[in-house]
Amino acid sequence: MFGALYAAEGTDHCVLETVAREFSPRIEVCSPREITLDLSGLERLFGEARAIAHELRRTAADRGVQVRVAIAGTRTAARLFVHHRAGITVIDRGSEAEMLASLPLGLLDAFGGFAPMARARRGTRPTTPNFQPPTSQPESTPTETLRRWGLRTLGEFAALPSDDVAARLGVAGVEWQRVARGEDQHPLVPALPDERFEQTLELEWPIEGLEPLSFVLGRLMEPLSVHLERRDRGAAVLHIRLYLITRTVHERSLQLPAPMRDARALRTLALLDLESHPPDAAIDRVTVAVEPTPGRVVQFSLLTRPLPSPEQLSTLNARLAALMGEGRCGSPEPVDSWRPGAFAMKPFNPGSGIGDQGSGTDRIPNPGSRIPTTALRRFRTPISARVRVEDGRPVRVEQLGLGGRVEVAAGPWRTSGAWWVADEWNRDEWDVALGDGVTYRVFHERLRTHASEGEAGRVSPRPRSGEGGWFIEGIVD
Amino acid sequence: MFAYSPLGEHMANSALAVLETALRERKLDRTLTTSLPPLERSDPAAFIPFEIAAVDAVLRGGLPRGQVSELAGPHSSGRTTMLLQLLAAATRGGEIAALIDTCDGLDVASAAAAGIDLNRLLWIRGASSGRVLSALSESKDRIVDRALKALNLVLQAGGFGVVAIDLADVSPRVLRSLPFTTWLRLQRIVEGSDMACLLIVPEPLARSAGGLTVMCTGRTTWNDGRVCRFTGLDTGIRVISPRRRVDGSAAVRALANNSD
Repeated sequence: MFGALYAAEGTDHCVLETVAREFSPRIEVCSPREITLDLSGLERLFGEARAIAHELRRTAADRGVQVRVAIAGTRTAARLFVHHRAGITVIDRGSEAEMLASLPLGLLDAFGGFAPMARARRGTRPTTPNFQPPTSQPESTPTETLRRWGLRTLGEFAALPSDDVAARLGVAGVEWQRVARGEDQHPLVPALPDERFEQTLELEWPIEGLEPLSFVLGRLMEPLSVHLERRDRGAAVLHIRLYLITRTVHERSLQLPAPMRDARALRTLALLDLESHPPDAAIDRVTVAVEPTPGRVVQFSLLTRPLPSPEQLSTLNARLAALMGEGRCGSPEPVDSWRPGAFAMKPFNPGSGIGDQGSGTDRIPNPGSRIPTTALRRFRTPISARVRVEDGRPVRVEQLGLGGRVEVAAGPWRTSGAWWVADEWNRDEWDVALGDGVTYRVFHERLRTHASEGEAGRVSPRPRSGEGGWFIEGIVD
Repeated sequence: MFAYSPLGEHMANSALAVLETALRERKLDRTLTTSLPPLERSDPAAFIPFEIAAVDAVLRGGLPRGQVSELAGPHSSGRTTMLLQLLAAATRGGEIAALIDTCDGLDVASAAAAGIDLNRLLWIRGASSGRVLSALSESKDRIVDRALKALNLVLQAGGFGVVAIDLADVSPRVLRSLPFTTWLRLQRIVEGSDMACLLIVPEPLARSAGGLTVMCTGRTTWNDGRVCRFTGLDTGIRVISPRRRVDGSAAVRALANNSD
């Protein structure tokens, strides 16, 4: 025995699904407004079919949902009746075809139209030679075809010889003839409920500090990890909610770089994050929830060097971030800018390591093929310096007891940019080799300069940051 | 009923030989098991090359894996140039590398120009204090300590081809004040692994028996034409490890990075 629920327009489909699940775990969602459910065995609980239908309707009304209910021996018959009649419809088992016979043919359109459904099922267009819809005009629905044949009811369509229907409408026509007779095309495919991957632990006594919390997190992560493994899922996002004695909730969310379900790795990541963002009061209740995602399928290779797993890298990144600070670890990334020293940081994610290796030819030593380029050791914040200028060229650099007489100076190389925003730069760069053998890159900031340029024999005043002057940008090394 | 077929055994042996050869060619035969004895020094897979012929010849293949090595020298001696070359060679070969940048001195443009696959480089930035580090006595220990802790974490995580720590801007006095067991502990961590640990220091510190200590000396070159221009850096490489038989020197010419 199957039932069909058809809700009024604008109904929240979650509420409708909840109502259906209260009666049967075997439900199939046909559309946001329509659900079919297997009612077998409910007679022992509620009595006859009509009582079940009334109970369904009453439960839905309690939730604020107006529904039509139809109960029949087949899902197809129940669906057709629920589309046709308001209120409650109960059809005795075995009499579906007889009861459906008087229903209008247009119900097939309401049912979804059979040509699109048949095509979707097979993934192809119908190829029956006798049913070739014109390509230049809008495709006529099969029910229109049936009406042109003079048919008006489902019973008239059902009464046609199946061989002739197949000859004219193809396999799809036969299938829809079975629909018109109230026969099911396929068994009910139950929709699985959305599983919640969440664990909560109420604490008898409030806890303070991360050490006792680590035990609690471990106890919560273990069953969560087992649950994820059974469902072949991994955690994409980890949510930790700490209910504090101050009636506030301390919530942290960790976006994981790869789906993972290792309890120890998850606990370590959570603890490292909480080390950086600790709760400000004792904890009453701990809830851990994960947003699941399909598990990772990894095919390793014998011919490539294995990389650390995403779990290991995530743990390492979290530990390093806790030690060095947020944004201090990752991969450098050049940016599209001429600004000296411009770069960006991105999370370190070297890839799967499979099929992503360097080319084989690169591994072959090729003497003479690599000519190194000089590197610069950059002072992230340029160091201000006292520079003596003669004939427009720096002749002496002094800073914190370092520096000395300039032996060779190359420049100036003028660079400027971003003048359209506040963060502009405008400078003259010099490469200078000092007497101690060290080669510096220095620059003269041309914005709001205190000293006049090229003034022979003048030592520029010691500049303050952002006020122009001379700076040491880095050391050639 | 199956009969013994010498032909089948021969085919299986041939396939096994082909597989072993392929693994050996890709230098991956050691990734299948950890129970193998340490790599022989004659094995090319035991080294990470700089891919600079003269340097690799002097070092007899490159930096040894599973050892702590040092690149020492004063400023403008070419240490950073050599470091970036090593990182570039490792990442080009499909390995991942880590750089603990104690004083946050890495120039990303120089790294890109050296050919480093930046996606495969884990860059751990310390405090950007530069030369001021030598002057701030209250913070220097903390900065170096954090860098060494980061180095420990990376080495213990494993899986990296090269792990380098840049201590070049830290004053020798601060480095000498570190207990010598620091370097012994590092040596114990990397022993037996496929990682090469490299220290960039102003003067030799660790003096590992199994690793290399390479001294760098440099001289910048200039074009004295109509317009004076910085053209590059000549670096002299000298291996000074006392207990290794590797010894020798080489000269490397690095060209100025014109994209900078």
